[in-house]
Amino acid sequence: MKSHSNIEIRRCRPLLGTFVEIEASGRNVAGLERGIAAAFSSVEKVHRLMSYHDPRSDVSRMNRDAFPNSVIVHPWTWKVLETAQQFARESNGVFDIAIARLLADRGYLPQCSHRLSGTATWRDVFLLKNYRVFFRRRLMVDLGGIAKGFAVDQAVGALKESGATSGIVNAGGDLCVFGSRSQVVHLRHPSRPSQVAGAVRLRERAMATSGIYFARCKYRGRNISPMIDGRTGRSSRELISVSVAASDCMSADALTKIVFALRERAAGLMARYQADALLLERNGAPSWMFHSSCDTPDRTRFD
Amino acid sequence: MKAEFAFIALPVSALIAPSAFAVRYLTVDQAQQAIFPSKSFTAAPVKLTSSQRKAIEQASGLRVLHDEQQVWRVSGDSWFIVDEVVGKHEFITYAVGLNADGSVKQIEIMDYRETYGGQIRDQKWRAQFVGKTSKSPLKLDNDIKNISGATLSCRHITDGVKRLLAFYEIALKH
Repeated sequence: MKSHSNIEIRRCRPLLGTFVEIEASGRNVAGLERGIAAAFSSVEKVHRLMSYHDPRSDVSRMNRDAFPNSVIVHPWTWKVLETAQQFARESNGVFDIAIARLLADRGYLPQCSHRLSGTATWRDVFLLKNYRVFFRRRLMVDLGGIAKGFAVDQAVGALKESGATSGIVNAGGDLCVFGSRSQVVHLRHPSRPSQVAGAVRLRERAMATSGIYFARCKYRGRNISPMIDGRTGRSSRELISVSVAASDCMSADALTKIVFALRERAAGLMARYQADALLLERNGAPSWMFHSSCDTPDRTRFD
Repeated sequence: MKAEFAFIALPVSALIAPSAFAVRYLTVDQAQQAIFPSKSFTAAPVKLTSSQRKAIEQASGLRVLHDEQQVWRVSGDSWFIVDEVVGKHEFITYAVGLNADGSVKQIEIMDYRETYGGQIRDQKWRAQFVGKTSKSPLKLDNDIKNISGATLSCRHITDGVKRLLAFYEIALKH
């Protein structure tokens, strides 16, 4: 059978504080253009709803008013909060959206004017009926560790709906490959950004990477990163990068933070999400964790 | 569909490359159609006077590197502007569509180039991009298509758009 020529469109816009790149293939140019526009709109909407910095966002509204009152949020924000709380439960608090105070103290997020509870955690965040959110104490949430993955998933949904047959959405390194074609994704070396530390081939799969990149700060004379273990408040130091592949980008995004803190102890959770991870250490060889059922014929090491 | 996931062995050379990385997303024509589909465009380049330049710098708090700005008037009183920003490692050409009221309609990245080793501020290095069309793509490790790992900040674009909005107020708005 003679196949019609496949059209491929690749676009990039500055969103979510980074570069969001969308590539999509299909048979119909107009449909693809509409799909890409809708996909970028979804990302913009996630940005509007979940930005920590925009005072009109759901996140800012919650941080202002969810204590002592309560706030009604958009269903998308609700969905991200629900997933975040699920990961907090499953990781026993390693993943915690209520650690904005720590990030603010260390200069990654702006300080807020209210006095915050020093011991507030995800357990003080309550998701009530009808998209209503209530904080039991004065706290701040930051969805930065998960909203980008959600934005990627929403964009992929919009592309599929428009009839795109395959493609990739890459929001500053958090990405999802969909459709019949596989894509090679190169992993930038965390401390040598001009170099490639590894490569993976993905099909129908999302991947997120968290690492100590350019976002390193000094705190009390020590180099720290924005990767913080929600239970101990400590920054992870030995590991410099964790990439997680999973079926959706929101899960992959959240799991990178958990693997960063727990490493091998995250194996059970990784298996539950059928996720794989690639870990890079400062002076070591790359290593990876596979979920048990993963069929990977090519487990070649990079060294 | 079954998900597929495999690690790939990299040749040693790939671990050292790339020292540069470039993607061309859109030509000027394509960017115009992407932001203002089926509109007509009239080139209206602007050469800034030194006082306009100073006014833009004062209003935006940002330096104006070029006196000339590539501008098109779009049917329906909108504007299409092509601009570039230079970061420590990035050199980005992008297009901004402005609505008739001066608000931002859409931003599209046209060219994204990243390089290491300090060449980016070098005029000669930059000159090699002048006059390039989609028919002569840059061959700087174009094998690499998708990158994960670093969340690069788009702060320079944000600043650039801020500067262009001041440019609109001072040089375009009547």
